[in-house]
Amino acid sequence: MNGLKTSALAIGAALAFASFGTEAAAQECTTKIGAVLPTSVDWGKPIAATAQYAVDLANEAGGVAGCEIEMVLRDTQVDPKVGVDAAKALVDLDGVQLLLGAVSSGVSMPILTSVTVPAGVMQMSCCSSSTAFTALSEEGKTNGLFYRTFATSGVQAAVGAMVARDEGYESVAVFYKNDDWGQDIGGLVAKDLEALGIEVTASIAINDAQASYRAEVTEALKGNPQAIYMALYPKEGTQVVREWISLGGTQEMIAANALKSDEFKENVGMQFLGNFTGTDTASPRTDSASAFVDAYTTRFDGPPNGPGLANSYDATMIALLAIHAAGEGATGADIAAKIGSVTDPDGTPVSADAEGFAAAKEVLDGGGTVSYQGATGNVLFDANGDVSAPAVTWVFSESGIDEKQYISLTEVNDFMASMQ
Amino acid sequence: MIGVISYLVFFATVASILSIAVLGLNLQWGNTGLFNGGVVAFFGAGAYGTLLLGSASQDGLLGGFGLPYLLALFGGMMIAGIVAWIVGLLTLRLRHDYLAIATFGVAVAFENLVRNADLLGGAQGIRGFERPLRDTFGNGFTYNLLFFVFVLILLVLTYVFLERLIASPFGRLLRAIREDETAAQSLGKSPSRVRLTAFIAGSVIMGLAGGLYATFYAFISPQDVLPILTFQIWAMLIVGGAGNNKGAVMGTFLIWAAWTASGWALSRFAPLEVQLYTGSIQFVLIGFVIVGMLLWRPQGLFPEKLVVSQSAKTGG
Repeated sequence: MNGLKTSALAIGAALAFASFGTEAAAQECTTKIGAVLPTSVDWGKPIAATAQYAVDLANEAGGVAGCEIEMVLRDTQVDPKVGVDAAKALVDLDGVQLLLGAVSSGVSMPILTSVTVPAGVMQMSCCSSSTAFTALSEEGKTNGLFYRTFATSGVQAAVGAMVARDEGYESVAVFYKNDDWGQDIGGLVAKDLEALGIEVTASIAINDAQASYRAEVTEALKGNPQAIYMALYPKEGTQVVREWISLGGTQEMIAANALKSDEFKENVGMQFLGNFTGTDTASPRTDSASAFVDAYTTRFDGPPNGPGLANSYDATMIALLAIHAAGEGATGADIAAKIGSVTDPDGTPVSADAEGFAAAKEVLDGGGTVSYQGATGNVLFDANGDVSAPAVTWVFSESGIDEKQYISLTEVNDFMASMQ
Repeated sequence: MIGVISYLVFFATVASILSIAVLGLNLQWGNTGLFNGGVVAFFGAGAYGTLLLGSASQDGLLGGFGLPYLLALFGGMMIAGIVAWIVGLLTLRLRHDYLAIATFGVAVAFENLVRNADLLGGAQGIRGFERPLRDTFGNGFTYNLLFFVFVLILLVLTYVFLERLIASPFGRLLRAIREDETAAQSLGKSPSRVRLTAFIAGSVIMGLAGGLYATFYAFISPQDVLPILTFQIWAMLIVGGAGNNKGAVMGTFLIWAAWTASGWALSRFAPLEVQLYTGSIQFVLIGFVIVGMLLWRPQGLFPEKLVVSQSAKTGG
């Protein structure tokens, strides 16, 4: 916990510095954007800090559509009522046309249906992965106002299955967090594994905040799997892995990106994580991604080792560029309509830092389109506002978290098609 | 200006919906002394019932009966009542803290049921509900205003109903059971039957609140029925004053206002370097309000007015 505290302090200090920086470059007008993120939760703080960081960079680059951006941050407490109220206050009282958030799909969804869509405000989520958003968009109920930079669970599930195949596992037990994200990815990975001819010995739901997961772990042990797959968050993940190993389970482990955290590594112990492979959709091997890692490391005194950070950064940057493209006084619908010109694969490539932001503004001012090369690669939205993404596998090492293999977007898409 | 009004309407709608649930709890705890620790189960039963009965059919989901809205809302209340009847039969012989633990367990079971049953939407919840009369009034401010009026009418109806109920001989009986069950029994009353009636009536009212809540958000998921909601509703009743319907409503508006205004104020006035911590600070502030209330005014803002009988009440 100590490590977490220091990094949180570093983030706070960095924000304080950021404030001085932006005041110096103050513009004559201010455009407010809203952010509803779970800042009362440990892993929510860095996501919010990253969004603020992107806003600071945009202000450094001369603001957006001639104005300085002010991000008004509200906490959701991971409670739908509180999140919806915060969103409504931002839309009605602060008049924001862009809302960043939320993280949990169970909070993002009521915000979308009862606040942003009725008010015509654009909503950009960094981290909601539920397939329900895709379905809602297909039914035409989002009015094209919803975007997210978090690839749907399909990509990660497919890559998880790919890892199992490449490692030669013949049987796998699946642990999934019993929420929308976990149920989604747990179901998909089981289907993908079976499509590859790998036996799924058990699919086990892990509920939050239990003191022990002995019953669940014992259940999984019965099938004697060669490996386990985990779609869990660090807190439950740590507990499950500890009990799994202490009861003699295999150390062959595959996990989704939510376990990509130093906290998990430290609490489980490196000696048990030698055969651990993680998957992620969010850090492709492009210059833009490593530039983000470097910039983030400089700013926050540590690499972006938490779920959703790169996604939060890209969500903010893309949305800000779209506001610029839409011009002064743009409505949510205007901004949403400009997302395509910011993430046009045929557009001028621009990097995801202050210089890139300034360059992008120039191109957009000249009526051109840009291809935003972000922390999660060159982001491309489909008709439902969803992103596909290249994938990486990663491993824990003594020094931190290392990338193992890079799987390009084409490879991911081909592999997913091959399983159909 | 229109923004402020629009937000206030929104706030008042949520607060009114929660008030209805708090009134339901006040009937159970304030008037009858039943410690219901599972408010969300009945709130959730109403919410899920309303959406399942009222929405168009969806793949793999139970229901989709597409009933007219008022019928769906009524159905949701009935489902909450049926759940309460079953739970009541099983648990109402328990007293105080035992009843609280049992009903809390029911609420956790309910949350786990909806989280795991794909037929009830699973963890993703139920989306795609068409709010009633949306086509006529659009989706914007007018609709929210009309919905608020609708909720307000229901709140007033519930309030008047409960006021009349507790002023009636039956209301006296509820208080008699709360104060001394044996004494009530010695007068030939059947406490267990009356307790069950009060429990079901209170739960139906909570079900109404749940149905309105799900309608307002056009969405319900297991995240809406976490134990925190039970806690919030209890906090509203305790601060307002258990046993007093006016207190229940005032307490709801006050606590919900504190809950939301503290977040708003912190986001506006806290210096940038503590912005990230406002979520945690907010929790501390809310805790202070509730603890302070319990320490200095445990009877609530509007304590119950005890009168021996309505006719003995002095004028005014």
